Amino acid sequence: MTLKKSALVALGVMLSCSVAQASTFKWASNTDPQTMDPHAVNSAPVLGFLNNVYEGLVRRGKTMAVEGALAESWEPLGDKGWRFNLRKGVKFHDGSDFNSEDVMFSYQRASSEAADTASWFAPVSEVKVVDDYTIDFMTKVPNPLFPSSIANFMIMDKGWAEGNGAALPSKDQENHATLNANGTGAFQLAERQPGLKTVLTPYADWWGQVEHNITRAEFTPIQNSATAVAALLSGNVDMVNPVPIQDAARLKQSDGVKVIEGIEARVIMLGFPHQAAELKYGEDAGKPNPFKDVRVRKAVAQAVNVDAILQTIMRGNAQPASQLVSPAMSGYSAANAERPAFDVAGAKALLAEAGYADGFSFGLKCPNDRYLNDEAVCQAVVSMLAQIGVKAELDAMPVRNYWPELRKDAYDMYLLGWSPGTFDAEHPIRFLVHTPNPEKKLGSWNFGDFSNARIDEMLAPIQSEIDPTKRQAMLDEAAKIIQDEVAYVPMYVQPLVWGARDNIELTQRPDNFFILRWVTVK
Amino acid sequence: MLIYSLRRIFQSIIVLLVVGLVAFSMFRFVGDPIDNMLGQERTDADIERLRTELGLDQPFIVQYGKFLSNAATGNLGVSYRQGRPVASILLERAPATLELAAVSGLFAMIVGVGLGVFTAIRRHGFAANFIMTVSLIGVSLPTFLIGILLIYLFAVELGWLPSFGRGETVMVGGWSTGFLTASGLKALILPSITLGLYQMTLIMRLVRSEMLEVLRADYIRFARARGLRERAINFRHALKNTMVPVITITGLQLGSIIAFAIITETVFQWPGVGLLFINAIQFVDIPVMAAYLMLISVMFVGINLIVDLLYFAIDPRLRVDTNAVES
Repeated sequence: MTLKKSALVALGVMLSCSVAQASTFKWASNTDPQTMDPHAVNSAPVLGFLNNVYEGLVRRGKTMAVEGALAESWEPLGDKGWRFNLRKGVKFHDGSDFNSEDVMFSYQRASSEAADTASWFAPVSEVKVVDDYTIDFMTKVPNPLFPSSIANFMIMDKGWAEGNGAALPSKDQENHATLNANGTGAFQLAERQPGLKTVLTPYADWWGQVEHNITRAEFTPIQNSATAVAALLSGNVDMVNPVPIQDAARLKQSDGVKVIEGIEARVIMLGFPHQAAELKYGEDAGKPNPFKDVRVRKAVAQAVNVDAILQTIMRGNAQPASQLVSPAMSGYSAANAERPAFDVAGAKALLAEAGYADGFSFGLKCPNDRYLNDEAVCQAVVSMLAQIGVKAELDAMPVRNYWPELRKDAYDMYLLGWSPGTFDAEHPIRFLVHTPNPEKKLGSWNFGDFSNARIDEMLAPIQSEIDPTKRQAMLDEAAKIIQDEVAYVPMYVQPLVWGARDNIELTQRPDNFFILRWVTVK
Repeated sequence: MLIYSLRRIFQSIIVLLVVGLVAFSMFRFVGDPIDNMLGQERTDADIERLRTELGLDQPFIVQYGKFLSNAATGNLGVSYRQGRPVASILLERAPATLELAAVSGLFAMIVGVGLGVFTAIRRHGFAANFIMTVSLIGVSLPTFLIGILLIYLFAVELGWLPSFGRGETVMVGGWSTGFLTASGLKALILPSITLGLYQMTLIMRLVRSEMLEVLRADYIRFARARGLRERAINFRHALKNTMVPVITITGLQLGSIIAFAIITETVFQWPGVGLLFINAIQFVDIPVMAAYLMLISVMFVGINLIVDLLYFAIDPRLRVDTNAVES
């Protein structure tokens, strides 16, 4: 017995003797970036990861403000376009020099038919190389936001891409740039095993001021959130993104681990069928669509108790939303920061006025794996609507089934989250509120076909107005229309919850990008 | 013999084709890969274009036909998610699953037989009854929960073993192995216990009941009467005779160890084909799902075919007859 015991102890000692290296940093997230090509896939996991390896002309700082990266400065060319003055002496990871030819090449690559990022360059009419370190982007109409809209446009070396047969991005086939990278960023790709492990090492010749103390960074995707939390608790990883909201409180209590909370750019809202003639689900299927009446939409907005949802389901981690963007975005309308008050009696009165004193029944569609606790939020909405006599039948499904359903208008009300890719209030107007127009690529996520002539008229001026005060006035007007018409019911801004070991210092950016050069290991 | 074998092979191929057909008819319900493949700024035209490019606008029977004709030439298609050939992804991931399955199979076999013999010999002892009771709990807990419990005990609380992954691996030829490094071996312990626990209990119970049967047989009693040592009786004579059904069952279970590795691989983020399949479902990566399902069914059908042919080769009745003549 004692022999067995001491053998066990010896085994334990032997196994626990793994010594961690001081500045090796390991982190995990639930999604693996599906490619190392910055122009092949326009998705947050890919762009967020590659921001550590590649760089753009401009980049976003710790508070999302735009700052120079490969461009030292930029200035408008009247209202015809923008001139970028490039940084000199920058070298790619393979040692080749960076100059305007690489920017030109990357523009052609990223705006090509094969690229997923082509829409960023829709406003561009022409790109002109002025000299080795000056390049002009001409726009079709004045475009005050162009520099900040290309913060994720990453520059690739012309010689490297062409020499390795990767002159064009490729999504459905492998090419050299899918598994390899050659950027100018603070970190270079040392090892890439898709779905298993990706290793980055600091780039010794980086042009910038080094703030981090990492010598090697290892990324592992961990799908299962319970496994990720256990990995953090056991110290097998130093940082985890995201932490499930229900585990955040427990992690805060644990020794050696901290929880970093913030507000993401994503606004969660309810959407309506604005044009459908009839309800499609529930007991009242086939009857006229009550959501065409703005009073009914207003009643829904007043019946949803957002504070209660945030307290119970989000455990106090989220902020209520009054409009389609969060206060952290540019163009946020401070004049319309008031959300409709929670008012059951008022909502009932509105319904009665609209002729639905006895309520009605309809179908609510909801994803169950897209947003944080999305299904639970929908369940809460169902019970809150029941208080004003409206019976919602909830149909929750995985997101891979959800978008096709919305596209074929199979809903009476739906849940949607929107994160503006440009971090500006114009973005949701273009995608969610403008009347759908496939030719002009407008309103492509406006499933409910909301349509308002004034909004449609204002979008182009908003996009081209140079004077910030005039522009904000138009954005304020748009936000007011969207609120008055209850085009959507914005509920809250989704929280960001990351977990890290106590000895890790990092910066959490609202776009959920994890930037390695801001990490220090103590 | 030849006609029998040909008939069995023909039947196996039919089974494979039907499995594939069912799989392809189900893919439509898994969801739509298009939204995952295009970014936020996609238009309806992009969606239609990609759908046509991938052939997803065709009826599933046509998609299945295309998959089969490509598979016949060794081309399993390109993953929607990774944009790389499915065959090379599967080859990359297979060693992880096969090593895990081999170690859990070995664990189930060795511990299962050992405990089975022990509980049969000490049938009324406290320890044996305790093991039997605990094994019942082990079988009724879902794999997922066992995995998480083990992680919390050995990785989080005690800090002895890694909580996820394969540790450091070494490439031997085209095969990535975790057997050659300390961290690789440590990483194998918890997942193999989790994966092998059910099979271990199964083998243990099988060995126990077979042993109890055999221990009652006449030749054991005569052996005792002859004064043979207990150890020789238990292990030389009794155990040997219980092994035939155990080996058959173990062989068949190896297939399900590989197939059921999915859950264990998810809990431990074990980079094998099971985890690949789970990712493929989330992304609706149809080429990967199709290849995985076909691979697993080929494996099961193959094992069954071999067993069938072996049964024919050693038809028990023939053996009974020859034994009768010899004795």
